[in-house]
Amino acid sequence: MIKIENLHVEVDGKAILKGINLTINAGEVHAIMGPNGSGKSTLSNVIAGRNGYTVTQGSIRYFDQDLLEMKPEERAWAGIFLAFQYPVEIPGVNNTYLLKAGVNARRRQQGLEELDAMDFMQMVQEKARLVELDPAFLSRSVNVGFSGGEKKRNEIFQMAVLEPKLALLDETDSGLDIDALRIVAGGINKLRNPERAIVMITHYQRLLDYITPDFVHVLANGEILTSGDAKLAHKLEKEGYDWLLEKDTAA
Amino acid sequence: MLTNNAPQQLTGIALPSLQDEDWKYTSLSPLVAALGAAWWQQRAGTPVATPSELTLDSIRINAATASCDRALPDGVTLRPWRESDHGLFDLPPAPPLPYSAKLARALADGGICLCIADGVELEQPILITHPEATGSSARLHGIHIGAGTNATLIDHFHGVATGAGVGTSLCQIRLQANAALDHYRIQQNSASHFHLGRIEIGQHRDSRYRLFAAELGSALSRLDLVTTLLEQGAECTLNGLMVLAGRQHADHHLHINHAAPHCRSRVHYRTVADDRARVVFNGAVRVAKGANGTDSAQTNANLLLSKRAQVDTKPELEIYNDDVKCAHGATVGQLDAEQLFYLQSRGIAKAEARQLLTIAFAEALLDTVAIPELRKVIEQAIMAKLPHGA
Ligand SMILES: Nc1ncnc2c1ncn2[C@@H]1O[C@H](COP(=O)(O)OP(=O)(O)O)[C@@H](O)[C@H]1O
Ligand SMILES: [Mg+2]
Repeated sequence: MIKIENLHVEVDGKAILKGINLTINAGEVHAIMGPNGSGKSTLSNVIAGRNGYTVTQGSIRYFDQDLLEMKPEERAWAGIFLAFQYPVEIPGVNNTYLLKAGVNARRRQQGLEELDAMDFMQMVQEKARLVELDPAFLSRSVNVGFSGGEKKRNEIFQMAVLEPKLALLDETDSGLDIDALRIVAGGINKLRNPERAIVMITHYQRLLDYITPDFVHVLANGEILTSGDAKLAHKLEKEGYDWLLEKDTAA
Repeated sequence: MLTNNAPQQLTGIALPSLQDEDWKYTSLSPLVAALGAAWWQQRAGTPVATPSELTLDSIRINAATASCDRALPDGVTLRPWRESDHGLFDLPPAPPLPYSAKLARALADGGICLCIADGVELEQPILITHPEATGSSARLHGIHIGAGTNATLIDHFHGVATGAGVGTSLCQIRLQANAALDHYRIQQNSASHFHLGRIEIGQHRDSRYRLFAAELGSALSRLDLVTTLLEQGAECTLNGLMVLAGRQHADHHLHINHAAPHCRSRVHYRTVADDRARVVFNGAVRVAKGANGTDSAQTNANLLLSKRAQVDTKPELEIYNDDVKCAHGATVGQLDAEQLFYLQSRGIAKAEARQLLTIAFAEALLDTVAIPELRKVIEQAIMAKLPHGA
């Protein structure tokens, strides 16, 4: 689905990602872990197309396309979804309107008819139940007056509505209390399917207690230090990152 | 060849210069260049027959002909403006008259006088249409709202481009005790039009004046609004929304005179400037010596959609009293890059996302429009002005 090769990224002339190689196939769930500041958000932002990052080397292929050539909205139409680490508040833009515009823009791109208002509302209400989002939030301005946990839940709700092929969840677990975490993780589990790939970015092991990843990667200092299966996450929980970082400096 | 001095030679009124503090950012030379002597000589410009697109349920009055489309309800009278009406309506400030007032009086060629008696409750709003004309036309209007009367008035300035024109208008409004007027002023003239407007209001005890000004049309448009809170308990709310594009220029100068104790004034303006448009906003509040317990607040937020758009905003407080509450704040900003990216990442194309965020910015003011059909018309007019092509 997506193939990242030797990706080097700079921000303001500072090297942040230093040669990332990562291949993700449909149906897989990947976890990217690593200490704060290691470049996890940078990686997901570059995939989603946020401004301000300079790719100095390497490539990202998404299906048959050069992803780096695509605008953020084109990436969304092609099935890429980013759940923001810090969801943005947009006063005056209605939550449901945002999703309707997004869904219909994508349908137009695919040559499909726009959903009619009734069908859309029904679908949205169904998806809201998935993450136990109070339907009152649907008619509010995007993320305005939402608590930290509600914002994260809203991101997963949006994912459910937009039905991406590749979902990047940037620290969706942070700031959630244990009940909210269980609800959000439950929602994500229900959204797992053979056509969809999910990348969970986290620096806690917590989320992985609920969602078992197929692959775990450790990102530190802009490089993937090691990759493994779910057992790697457990080892990290017990032993921390130090053993990896030491190995890195020793090498 | 007409020079910038020509108007003065013809009428004895000097054009304001950019040295004049009130006209520092607005030059009338483009008007002189576009109309030349026609501004001063050809009175009563040729009307362009364009019906107002506002189709809402209302009592419709045509300001150009001083006529109404139906029998007026009890307690409402309408007639053409008369010279003697000056006595009825003249309000502070006393002479010397400011430029915009002098101009309107020197050029006046018509207008209406609308009186609503005491204690009238109108079911429908009154819509006054001001169809634009090519050449020059100037109007004086007087509006009298009787004691305890509640009315909604919509002034619609509109037209389609057929040639250069300038409309000058002076509207004097008197609100008697306990009267309430919701005044919508929608300026949607064509791009070849110039608009110079002035509103003077006198508010008696416990009266309430609420303005919603939508500034959308004209190449150059200026509004001077002066309201004087003459007696205690009077209250005014001045809301304005300007959306400009191309090389449009709009300038609103508001003056609120707190002349009596325990009056309240609120100003909330939002402006959007795209391309090379220029916005000027000046909100002056004067609190007189005896005006104890004055409560005044002003906010002005400006959104620049292009690097070449420009805004000049200034509050002006003149306070001769200690017992006052006066707050003001102005901001100038661009669309938020984070919000734009968020919308794009949800599949909304950039141009549409910009439009959505701009409307969202205007929303706070659109929410104050209490007539849904009117709100819709304004919202659509704004949408049509914003760039949509990717
Ligand atoms: N927009 C930015 N401007 C400047 N520095 C940035 C920006 N984004 C990220 N960085 C820097 O890049 C590094 C990696 O950040 P980030 O990708 O957010 O890490 P993580 O998500 O793993 O915590 C940090 O040192 C951070 O300070
Ligand atoms: Mg991060």
